[in-house]
Amino acid sequence: MVMRRATRGSALLAVWLVSVSVVGAQQPTNFVSCPIVRDTASVPCWLAEYNGELYFLTLQTDVSAPVNPPSLGHRVLVEGTVSTEPRICGGVVLNPVHLSVLERDASCNTMLPAEERYNLTFEPPRPPGPSKGRLAFDNAAPAAPPAPAATGSTREFVVSYPFDGLIGFTHAGALTAILNFARTASAREIEIVGHRGAVRLSNGQTMVEESNIGKKRAEQIAMLLQGANLKGPSYKVSWREEAAAADGVDDHLSRRVVVTVRR
Amino acid sequence: MTRWFTGLTFAGWIAISLAASAQTGSRPWWAPGEATPLADFATYQNDRGSVGVLNTSGRLDTKGHPFFEPIGTNGRACVTCHQPADGMSLSVRTVRERWEATAGKDPLFASVDGMNCPHLPPGDPRSYTLLLERGLIRVALPWPPRNPDGTRIDPEFAVEVVRDPGGCNTHPTYGLESANPTISVYRRPRPAANTKYTTHQNFGVGPFIAKSGLPTATDPDTGRPTSMNLMSDARVPTLAVQAQDAAEQHLQLTGRLTAAQLAGIVQFEQQVYVAQVSSTAAGSLVEADGPPAFGPRQLASGDAGVLGNNTTRFVFPMGGKWNRLPRTGSESENARNAARESIARGHDVFMFRTFWIRDSMHLNTVGLGNPTKRTCATCHGMHMTGLDTVNGWMDIGTTNLPWASEVPLNPWNEAKPQMPLFRVTCKPDVKPHPYLGRVIYTQDPGRALISGRCNDVGTIVMQQFRGLSARAPYFSNGSAATLRELVDFYDRRYNIGYSDQEKQDLVNFLGAL
Repeated sequence: MVMRRATRGSALLAVWLVSVSVVGAQQPTNFVSCPIVRDTASVPCWLAEYNGELYFLTLQTDVSAPVNPPSLGHRVLVEGTVSTEPRICGGVVLNPVHLSVLERDASCNTMLPAEERYNLTFEPPRPPGPSKGRLAFDNAAPAAPPAPAATGSTREFVVSYPFDGLIGFTHAGALTAILNFARTASAREIEIVGHRGAVRLSNGQTMVEESNIGKKRAEQIAMLLQGANLKGPSYKVSWREEAAAADGVDDHLSRRVVVTVRR
Repeated sequence: MTRWFTGLTFAGWIAISLAASAQTGSRPWWAPGEATPLADFATYQNDRGSVGVLNTSGRLDTKGHPFFEPIGTNGRACVTCHQPADGMSLSVRTVRERWEATAGKDPLFASVDGMNCPHLPPGDPRSYTLLLERGLIRVALPWPPRNPDGTRIDPEFAVEVVRDPGGCNTHPTYGLESANPTISVYRRPRPAANTKYTTHQNFGVGPFIAKSGLPTATDPDTGRPTSMNLMSDARVPTLAVQAQDAAEQHLQLTGRLTAAQLAGIVQFEQQVYVAQVSSTAAGSLVEADGPPAFGPRQLASGDAGVLGNNTTRFVFPMGGKWNRLPRTGSESENARNAARESIARGHDVFMFRTFWIRDSMHLNTVGLGNPTKRTCATCHGMHMTGLDTVNGWMDIGTTNLPWASEVPLNPWNEAKPQMPLFRVTCKPDVKPHPYLGRVIYTQDPGRALISGRCNDVGTIVMQQFRGLSARAPYFSNGSAATLRELVDFYDRRYNIGYSDQEKQDLVNFLGAL
């Protein structure tokens, strides 16, 4: 688990970072809202309001974080599960949570000052300034894909995306893993299949990613691998234009590209 | 005030220049082909003390050396814009001194890029305002951009010229609508020193750019990924490619450098280290028991490409040496100790003073959130230099409006803008810039002129913090005339609210690097 070393600080922090299975039975909470940043005596908290409730999304840490804070000036898609953990910064904790920065919205501009009652009751994984010599989380490549499925001479990689997203800073590690395997294995074929996702919101609406996003994702990955001079294998690129069915549970998994590398 | 200077009159800057020279003594101009040996260690005075130039291979005979000889066709050498006395860069003060000494006839003022545009009248200072006022060299880039293999990049945006004081971007021969569409931007020469840091192969260098996931530029000789921190727009990946590019563009070499010339230039740039070694107020910066951050010898022995935004390595390790010093000596010793404490406090401001960093492309988009509460060392995190360890182009607003420095236009100000202004419009099938939207006004599109990407508009590779006192002005467009103006820019941009004491301490710290 990526959070192992971060548990040194306190038991409460350990609770916040505990694995998905503990809270898996809780109700999914998916919504679109303006993010809110609240200052504290150490690092800021990221929050969002929905249906009159304030939710805790994540803390500012560093590039190794499994969940990256959103952006003021933009709305955020929150796909989370309500946890039984104590509130953090006044917000109901969502854990696990997936965040996607959406379109620009200048009205999303709420910065709350620090208040003693909302200060963190645990040591954050990373202070707001210099670290103590290590990244906040063990995993230096936070968006690395799940362990690839290997079948004989074939290996499958899954590249995940935020809503309507293409390749970004979280993907360097995933792309490097594909590149390294393909080079090491002297791959003869790379099959890339792009998918278009959808998410069922808690208000009953369904958000579907933009059309052609599966095509864009698949073609971009092919272009990037070729741009990294992986030109030996043949490329088989396809996509699914129809959006995945959404049920509000783990819908984020539908936003993906599957890369199959064959020797 | 004359109409063609934004800040100072021609006579005004001459007077200031002469006064400054009187304070610090004249500083040597290294002329191409002068064949003076370069000592293994040399110091040169500047307004804040002196800068040291360490040549780790020992005394160098520059006669016939390709870095020091005019190997092109216009009389320049590499050393023309990479002067030892200016920390292997070029200060605007030196530019002005050369203008005065040669009536503008020094090869430094070659029309190809020393003038605002080559079509302007030679010898007239109004043709050289950007070089004379800000130390800027014209950089002419093809539009649309090209891949390293020469293929055309389809840019994500259209670019239009809004303002063109130098006349180059609208000129029928040199401009955007010419037969060879070209965009002219104006940038400061970077130091040709401490290059093991700007070309490191350590933390953050991989086949894909850590901040965007796009392929990293590779060394054409080895195929290895590079740090892409060498130039302000990362357009060349290695010292060798840069040397060839500069020889053609700036020295007007008509052909290729020979293998021996290339090797000689690269080898020299890999053995030269530059840092301030003394301070007029704080005395020697390189005493044996002093802070380990200072001086070129520490740079030469330092580890390159190491993350220093932590309390184990530090960006600039001070070792706690100057935090509290006695006041029990002579008046001059006490004053020196007070200055040293100011430098130490400035370090702490750099390292630990938090502020909100907002809407800065390639910083707020890389997992920290927007805004993020961090410190200077967050971005300037490379141990010993303050570079970014990973590919370091960001938009902090030095060239993009609304933050870029612009001449205030009003009926009472005769000064006119000198910098070009471009309107960049992101195409409909591309997501708008997350912070600036679909239409962006910029004095220099920066990395976007190479990548063609909307998100790169106005992003500039941050540069090293060493030898700063020797090479004003600052930022890629020379918009900060002094270190104080540099600090003031950040204070304004990020609404930091530094106290006067914090600003002064930060200036003293930066000036000691």
